[in-house]
Amino acid sequence: MKAPTPIIEIRDGKKSFGSFVALENINLSIHEGEILTLLGPSGCGKTTLMRLIAGFEGLTSGTLRVSGEDVAAVPPERRPVNMVFQRYALFPHLDVFENVAFGLKVKGLAKSEITERVKRMLHIVQLESLANRYIDELSGGQCQRVALARALVNEPKVLLLDEPLAALDLKIRQHMLAEMKRIHAETGATFIYVTHDQDEAMILSDRVVLMEKGRIVQIDRPEDMYARPKSLFAAKFLGETNLFETAVADSGAQGTVAKTASGIGFLSRNGVGHKTGDKVVVSIRPESFSFANNDEGSSQKTQGQVEDVVFIGSRSFYTVRLDDQAKVRIQVQRNGRVKPPEPGSRATIYWDADNVVMLPQA
Amino acid sequence: MSLSKPVTGSLLSAPTVLYMAVFFIVPSLILFAYSFWSAASYQVVPDFVLKNYLGSLTSPLFWKVTFNAISIGLWTATITLILAIPVAYYLVYVARSQTILYLILLTWFSSYLVRIYAWRTLLGTNGVLNTVLLQLGIIDHPVGAFLFSSFAVTITLVHIYLPFCILLVVASLSEIKRDLIDAARDLGTSSIGAFCKVIAPNAANGLIGAFMLTFILVAGDYVTPQMLGGSSGQTTGLLIADQFRKTGNWPLGAAQAFLMFLVSLAIYFALLTAGRMSGLVVHRPRKKKEA
Ligand SMILES: Nc1ncnc2c1ncn2[C@@H]1O[C@H](COP(=O)(O)OP(=O)(O)OP(=O)(O)O)[C@@H](O)[C@H]1O
Ligand SMILES: [Mg+2]
Repeated sequence: MKAPTPIIEIRDGKKSFGSFVALENINLSIHEGEILTLLGPSGCGKTTLMRLIAGFEGLTSGTLRVSGEDVAAVPPERRPVNMVFQRYALFPHLDVFENVAFGLKVKGLAKSEITERVKRMLHIVQLESLANRYIDELSGGQCQRVALARALVNEPKVLLLDEPLAALDLKIRQHMLAEMKRIHAETGATFIYVTHDQDEAMILSDRVVLMEKGRIVQIDRPEDMYARPKSLFAAKFLGETNLFETAVADSGAQGTVAKTASGIGFLSRNGVGHKTGDKVVVSIRPESFSFANNDEGSSQKTQGQVEDVVFIGSRSFYTVRLDDQAKVRIQVQRNGRVKPPEPGSRATIYWDADNVVMLPQA
Repeated sequence: MSLSKPVTGSLLSAPTVLYMAVFFIVPSLILFAYSFWSAASYQVVPDFVLKNYLGSLTSPLFWKVTFNAISIGLWTATITLILAIPVAYYLVYVARSQTILYLILLTWFSSYLVRIYAWRTLLGTNGVLNTVLLQLGIIDHPVGAFLFSSFAVTITLVHIYLPFCILLVVASLSEIKRDLIDAARDLGTSSIGAFCKVIAPNAANGLIGAFMLTFILVAGDYVTPQMLGGSSGQTTGLLIADQFRKTGNWPLGAAQAFLMFLVSLAIYFALLTAGRMSGLVVHRPRKKKEA
């Protein structure tokens, strides 16, 4: 079966500003209707990628297709794309209502329809009472919601959202996240989303595009990217992790075994393709350790001294100093079944081969 | 030690206030007083007469040159602004570099008078313009009207005040972020649409300011009209200058200066009203921030 045409497809995309290369080797197919998150450190090129898709910038080389059509010569106003700008870019000479109505007015819709759609949108972003305020009379979070409404009201095929919730507090952020999921489900639009917030990326996205210094380093479903990072950078960037410098001791059908200099061994079923003697970094998430051997025989273990415990609601974070002085962070769900060790006591920690990820050294 | 806000404010503005008081307000008041005095055989007599004003207002010459000054002013300001906007747009949003701006300002380093003479060479009967038009066969004998006319004055003033106007427009466009153009285009407007719907309304006050400032400077300019205006291109500025320099009738000159000031003011308000009525200038009452 032939895969449907991606709504957006970038092949060998490169973007330079003068001698500075902002994006390179960009190969990305975005499927119709998905929520795709661009994740990466500040300055890695997320906004630049969005501006290319919106049409504010042109690729230095490579191709960009929208619904299969090369759009190199299509100006932003004729692309089926709307953008929520990182710095809002609201119109100061218009009030909230007129800002949201701008796109519909340009399209030449009937006044009654404009009014109706704008009102519905303002209701969704909870700004009905501020419809007649000017932009400089709004708070940062309110501006952000106007920016969101101004783009969403046009019901574009592709919506580009550049950190649209960054200035909102937790409560309204959760509300807006839920609203965005609902609007997404209702409209079937494709969302391309930039965020620094991993939780947001996890909650919202079908796929995450991880970027570093202008390159895409991994594209995966969020849970896969979290569980199977393909690089040290990915392991460190997404969530918290424990890293061990090791060398491969054995590689067979069972999996790969790697050992630290002090002799702690890790068996991994994920580390295929490593040769004996290769230097690899082992990554294990805090929640993949436990103080109880709850699996049948597959668990590996080592010992250490419990140094510190922090309780965060239903979870506790332990710091355990291993016998080779390496520190390990362990997250334990408090369920009362297993009695966790006291600070200062010695403890055995267990982990499962499925959760051991072996990564090439950076 | 910390000073209260009003004290700091008055300290910071004191030098300017003092300067303006001594060198602008006081002379203006003296001139205003002069405008009611009378002059007899190159002597100024303290008096209180309205004849300087009434005489000017009923003099066809005064109205003719004032009309000239206003029309040269409006034409020059209009042409200058129309030329300045695309250049400023390019400088602020496309080139984003200061170099070209400096190059434009560099033209000011050449003497005003030299440039006026240069235009005389260009526009004269044996000048470049006539020669080219003759060669092209567009005209069959040299046109004298290029020089010593309102036309010559206008194009010379446009060239002199264009850099100044560009500077003012650049300043007002710089306040408006590029993002706004992107946002407007993203929402479906063309780039010209984005300029009209977003940039112009936000820059309107600055653009009208640039227009008015150019207008006032041009309408009051008397060197160019004197050198290039001939008899038909005389302006109020020149008339006023003549009262001080040639006729020695200072009171009359002072009165005419104040009349010109009132005329400029009237035009300013007329423009502002037109701008507001057309919806181009957004005037909205600022809500006072509650303490
Ligand atoms: N117009 C431009 N001219 C020159 N360099 C630019 C331009 N726009 C972006 N850059 C550079 O390109 C790089 C990527 O910028 P971009 O705005 O895409 O980063 P980002 O990933 O969105 O970062 P952030 O998370 O901080 O918003 C940065 O180093 C930036 O300085
Ligand atoms: Mg950005």
